[in-house]
Amino acid sequence: MAAFWKRRSSDPKVCVFGVDGMPHALLRRLMDQGVMPRARAIFGGGLRRMRVTLPEVSSVSWSSFMTGSNPGTHGIYGFTDFDKGSYRIRFPSFASLRAPTIWDRLGRRGKRSIVLNQPSTYPAREIPGTLVSGFVAVDLKKAVWPPDLARKLEEMNYQIDLDTQKAGKHSDYLFRELQSTLRGREKVLGYLWEREKWDLFEIVVTGTDRLQHFQFDAIEDPSHPNHVHCLDYYEKVDALLGRVFDRFAAETGDDSGSGFFALSDHGFTRIRQEFYVNAWLVEEGLLSFRTGEPKSFEDAEPSSKAFGLDPTRIYLHRKDRFPNGCVEMNEVPELCARIAEKILLLRFTGEPVFRGAFRAEEIYSGPETVSAPDLVLLANDGFDVKGWMRTGPVFGRSHFTGMHNWDDAFFWNGGPMPENFDITAIASAIESRLAGKEE
Amino acid sequence: MEMKGFTIWFTGLSGSGKTTLARVVEEILRERGMQVEVLDGDVVRTNLSKGLGFSKEDRDTNIKRIGFVCHLLSRNGVVAIASAISPYRDVRDSNRRMIGRFVEVYVKCPLDVLVKRDVKGMYAKALAGEIKGFTGVDDPYEEPLNPEVLVETDKESEEACVQKIIRTLELMGYIPGADASGETSEEEEEKIRQRLRDLGYI
Ligand SMILES: Nc1ncnc2c1ncn2[C@@H]1O[C@H](COP(=O)(O)OP(=O)(O)O)[C@@H](O)[C@H]1O
Ligand SMILES: [Mg+2]
Repeated sequence: MAAFWKRRSSDPKVCVFGVDGMPHALLRRLMDQGVMPRARAIFGGGLRRMRVTLPEVSSVSWSSFMTGSNPGTHGIYGFTDFDKGSYRIRFPSFASLRAPTIWDRLGRRGKRSIVLNQPSTYPAREIPGTLVSGFVAVDLKKAVWPPDLARKLEEMNYQIDLDTQKAGKHSDYLFRELQSTLRGREKVLGYLWEREKWDLFEIVVTGTDRLQHFQFDAIEDPSHPNHVHCLDYYEKVDALLGRVFDRFAAETGDDSGSGFFALSDHGFTRIRQEFYVNAWLVEEGLLSFRTGEPKSFEDAEPSSKAFGLDPTRIYLHRKDRFPNGCVEMNEVPELCARIAEKILLLRFTGEPVFRGAFRAEEIYSGPETVSAPDLVLLANDGFDVKGWMRTGPVFGRSHFTGMHNWDDAFFWNGGPMPENFDITAIASAIESRLAGKEE
Repeated sequence: MEMKGFTIWFTGLSGSGKTTLARVVEEILRERGMQVEVLDGDVVRTNLSKGLGFSKEDRDTNIKRIGFVCHLLSRNGVVAIASAISPYRDVRDSNRRMIGRFVEVYVKCPLDVLVKRDVKGMYAKALAGEIKGFTGVDDPYEEPLNPEVLVETDKESEEACVQKIIRTLELMGYIPGADASGETSEEEEEKIRQRLRDLGYI
């Protein structure tokens, strides 16, 4: 009888709870330790480990999530890219995305989405519904759709992000701001939830990623003075997850969570060593600069064979790609194979640094594969690859303590999902839930 | 913004508005600096597909030829616009697969409205049995299942239809917006650069 009353009254709805950079392993541990009791109650044994696309950075991962496609189709390969036909570095924006988003596709079926703090959607543009862009959003006025929402958010003192510079230097600032940005997001969530009718509601918590970049040692080490502050933040995220889940369940009658999706966009792990890919290319004689302190690849010698971009991308200095390029198309396979072979043999105190080096065609598909890096590296956990412009030592440490990883994102949904899937499969699962179909 | 070729494929019954909409879209894209080529079914039948009839086989051949030309144009940076009834789904889909960057526009209009419009006087003849195998009357039309754009020309004005098509092309990133929005200023870029540095990406 009870089931009768709980029957869904109207069209299916979906809620997405994104937690930027939350690793499956850490989430499991915090659930088991009682730091995240709501996550434990909701996800239970159904929590899954998820692979994302390469490179494993937020701009790429979230683009893969929101388009349900791989970088070869959506065209975003990192936070940076080469300007076409030049050495200049540009920052791909939402306008650079080459595939329709799930919100656009749902819009064509008359469905509306509310999206709060979605990374890689800046500057905001029209979606069928409401959008508040997340990282790297700069100006609130350009970070919202519809535009008149900006005034309301200003009134509510909404903060897109914390000051990353201060956060890296002062941990007390970091912890204070993590709390206040999270509260601000929940306030706006409450407002948007009621503002218009929606079919898909999405919120992304991004403080986790910031915390983990700067404080991964403190998260892992119970004797670290900041450890309790870290746990305190995860408790707050857990409580928010619980409230969002309860609210969604109460309104839809869906307490199995078949319409509730929780995910992260990559995993995180502790840094043992940073690996500077450009310094390595220099050491291998594949890259050289005209000056001692290169500012950009414009300072590279024309005879250079390869460049490294954040974090794990290698671009050959191809004739068809760069003004002073020296690598012919027919040299590409051999050169890639040589770099891959060398880098896979590389060891640090006896341990292999990399576990993979892939040609674009091996990992990407779609019309944008032509603009992909020639080679994409996959490091072993602990080795954080930096595409910094630098020469000198190949390994080193800095103030960062956490690094991304590729195969330890998490995923949870209360409905059926295919046995083996990655982040690109979620969009279609959401679409089929909203169509009222089972997989 | 870098511009790449792609194909806009108008499909729908005769008289639904494919040619009309294709011409306006062509004009707008030219204004925005793109190279555009239109392949209209009626015109193509006088040259590229001259001699082909209206059997399923001939219709398929016609659509495949148009698709192939669109493919050649698209991969060379041209925007190819095809407007042809193209009644069979599998041939449209195989063109989609071949071309990749493919935007299907379903120009929908119910038969009774088309009969009233009867731009070319064909429906009257088909209904009188003077023309056999006329799509929508006594020959099948398979609707697209998931077109990028659906316009209903009996309900939406010509202008609204065009607007919808252009907006979709902008949203999908095939064409730059009319205003320069979607771009970040140099000052903003500097802020973005700083943040990426703070987080260790660059
Ligand atoms: N919303 C609309 N969009 C396009 N055409 C329309 C619309 N409403 C009415 N029409 C009329 O319908 C006719 C469509 O003819 P045409 O474009 O030659 O069709 P087709 O190429 O599909 O055979 C034209 O006379 C046009 O003015
Ligand atoms: Mg016509």
